[in-house]
Amino acid sequence: MMNSLQRKQPPVFPVERVIIPEVQSLNLKNGVPVYLINAGTEDIMRLEIIFRAGQVRERLPLLSSTTNMMLSEGSQNYTSEEMNRLIDYYGTFLNLSPEKDLAGAVLFFLSKHIEKVLELTRELIFRPLFPEPELNALMKKRLRWFLVNKEKASNQAIDKFFESSFGKLHPYGRQLTEKDFESMNPSIIREFHSEYYTPDNMTLIISGKIHPRTTELLNHYFGEIASVKKQKKDPEIKIRGKASKEIHIVKDGAVQTAVRIGSPTINKRNPDYPGLKILNTILGGYFGWRLMKNLREEKGFTYGIGSAVSSLNLSGYKVISTEVSPKNCSQTIDEIFNEIRLLQNVPVSADELAVVRNYMSGEMVRMFDGPFAIAESFRAVWEFGLDNSYYQKLSEKILKIDPDEIIELARTYYNIDELYQVTVGPNEKEVS
Amino acid sequence: MVNFKKITLENGLKVLVHEDNSTPLVAMNILYDVGSKDEDPGRTGLAHLFEHLMFGGSINIPEYDKPLQMVGGENNAFTNNDITNYYLTVPSENIETGFWLESDRMFGLDFSQKNLETQKSVVIEEFNQRYLNQPYGDAILKLRPLAYKVHPYRWPAIGMDINHVAGVDLENVKEFFFSHYAPNNAILAITGNITFEKAAELSSLWFGPIPKRTISPRNLPVEPPQKEARSITIEKDIPSDAIYKVWHIGPRNNPDFHTLDLITDLLAGGESGRLHTKLVRDKKLFSEINAYLTSDIDPGLVILQGKLMKGVEIEYADNSIAEVLHGLKDITNLQDEMEKVRNKYESSTVFSNTSILNKAVSLAHYELLGDPDLINSEVDAYRAVSGEMGADTAEKYFGLSNCSSLYYKSTRKGA
Repeated sequence: MMNSLQRKQPPVFPVERVIIPEVQSLNLKNGVPVYLINAGTEDIMRLEIIFRAGQVRERLPLLSSTTNMMLSEGSQNYTSEEMNRLIDYYGTFLNLSPEKDLAGAVLFFLSKHIEKVLELTRELIFRPLFPEPELNALMKKRLRWFLVNKEKASNQAIDKFFESSFGKLHPYGRQLTEKDFESMNPSIIREFHSEYYTPDNMTLIISGKIHPRTTELLNHYFGEIASVKKQKKDPEIKIRGKASKEIHIVKDGAVQTAVRIGSPTINKRNPDYPGLKILNTILGGYFGWRLMKNLREEKGFTYGIGSAVSSLNLSGYKVISTEVSPKNCSQTIDEIFNEIRLLQNVPVSADELAVVRNYMSGEMVRMFDGPFAIAESFRAVWEFGLDNSYYQKLSEKILKIDPDEIIELARTYYNIDELYQVTVGPNEKEVS
Repeated sequence: MVNFKKITLENGLKVLVHEDNSTPLVAMNILYDVGSKDEDPGRTGLAHLFEHLMFGGSINIPEYDKPLQMVGGENNAFTNNDITNYYLTVPSENIETGFWLESDRMFGLDFSQKNLETQKSVVIEEFNQRYLNQPYGDAILKLRPLAYKVHPYRWPAIGMDINHVAGVDLENVKEFFFSHYAPNNAILAITGNITFEKAAELSSLWFGPIPKRTISPRNLPVEPPQKEARSITIEKDIPSDAIYKVWHIGPRNNPDFHTLDLITDLLAGGESGRLHTKLVRDKKLFSEINAYLTSDIDPGLVILQGKLMKGVEIEYADNSIAEVLHGLKDITNLQDEMEKVRNKYESSTVFSNTSILNKAVSLAHYELLGDPDLINSEVDAYRAVSGEMGADTAEKYFGLSNCSSLYYKSTRKGA
């Protein structure tokens, strides 16, 4: 019975070609672009409202995120308490999203409640009052959150990584201090809001089983608001990383050292980016890839180690992250550099290349599995002025990349001399 | 509506299948009915360590991750006090690889000394990362033994003492495997782009030949009712004071469970929750506050946790929590708020059931609770909770003598 089954050999079939869905687009009466992804089996929808109103646009630290977080703190027609109660009453999930480049809100709701949800959303987005008592309370809370988060070695390490590699003046490198929490007031928030939360700076992405009245209702709630088109630009600040690339922050008594190694890099607009994503997966994208295999599965040095490449509007960045016992820290760092050197010098084997092709093709199937995943994937290219043809290119690169190209990419984008190395932990690491 | 069919193989493996053709993927979830509650108090953390060992190679397959990734799959696992749960998703044409991998490790593991030593060290790093190297990370390590005196819920899944993990040997591991990992102690749920017939055929083909194993009956000590309030205070160099409070509740299948779940939503679900509205917004005592149920199968806990604003007296904050709980008697308001939390529960279920992986995890879990139909019908139990039930249930459980409190006091100046 047992022997009739091939238990040593996996039953493997090629992963089917990824089907990249179409996204419909239209404009509201006032020109606001809307992208529609009509799919799914349940009567639910996701509405994302996006403004180019992220941290890069703020003239004071915290201004962009505070404006965003204050949207639900009271509007012309609702107090914050009424607003929050209604959102919950209609079974709706609201996530405000203050980010580095963008800011806005995402709402998940039952399609039958679309009219109420859009009415509340208009209040949130276009009619907030930014009352002073709520602002003061928020800033006090945010200060406490900041102080607690700062306590975690992993947060300290990533903050220091951004500060060192982008520079203190760059919007991605700028760091907060306790004093910044005292500098917000309603008038600068209102000014930021009226400058950036405007129809000409707005985009809507709607997904799910789209309610038949969606376009009509969007025009009713958002299509009548007028705004004068103004040129708004991201600041042109050069990335100025610190000259010294090894930074250690002493955290007495810590039982682990947090390690972050990486640097600014290309973003999605660069044609090498798909290849860099593949290289990054081989280096340490998930369970079983090189860093994880070496430092977790073979040496048992860490609960987890990962390598990530991320894309932001002004620049991309790559970073390797782990937390290890202080006694293994310097060996861990050596191993990380060894793994990078191997990728720069030794061609990836046919077997490993086959695994990465199939694993990443499977990832792409997941990226388009269901309306909300499709919406998130579309958003992730839309924000760089790209469309879903990016995924076509990624998919082709996954199938065609060869070992020489991987070596070339590793040499170009993982130059060890350019990598910042941040550690946060007790002083034992100093021996390295 | 989540339609599903169930079969039980001759070796006792229960298989549940839900077909959803709107996705190109299939999800597979295997639940083993073993958790940290099944551990010897002298050797805790073994169930969770075992979960790690399950990825270190099985009888016929030297490595788990790579063959799954070779077919575009992704996987993970978790261990809690009750269960050890493994799951994967894979493009549907390759689901057989999932059967191949999961059946082989149910058959038997590689049991290598090297893998055991490495994973012990990985788990110790996990313990350091999650419980020690975080400002309030040790809270659950302190709370469980405060609330439970005899039931094995008194230790967390990571173990009551990390030295227990360090001391595990290969014999312990083998014994644990053969007494808990067996088709007759597991539930397999398969959801997504696959027919029932195909899933049933593959289940029999790959899992059918695995022999039944002897599972010793579970005989856990019953936690006696708590008679008086308990508390401990920890003074520590942390950024702010904090309060953690727990109350004993009944088992997962107790009819009060749904009411209690809605009460915690009413207290802490979303921005409009009472604790948030009254203690964060109005009185400005806490920077954040939350409450939830542990959802354990045996009698579990309500956990409430909050971090204090600078300069707030911990006793005053504690009394204010008691006032909010006392205020749950307020039936008129409860009627209105009950509708809100019932709606929110219903909507979160709809959202959760758009994921085939969530559906697979839920089906297996409901089967373990004794009724997989609960995946569709449990919402009715929530719908039936009235304001009066809310008030009565709050009164029944939130008594002082049923409560254990953990206070963190910051030794830092000006915190």
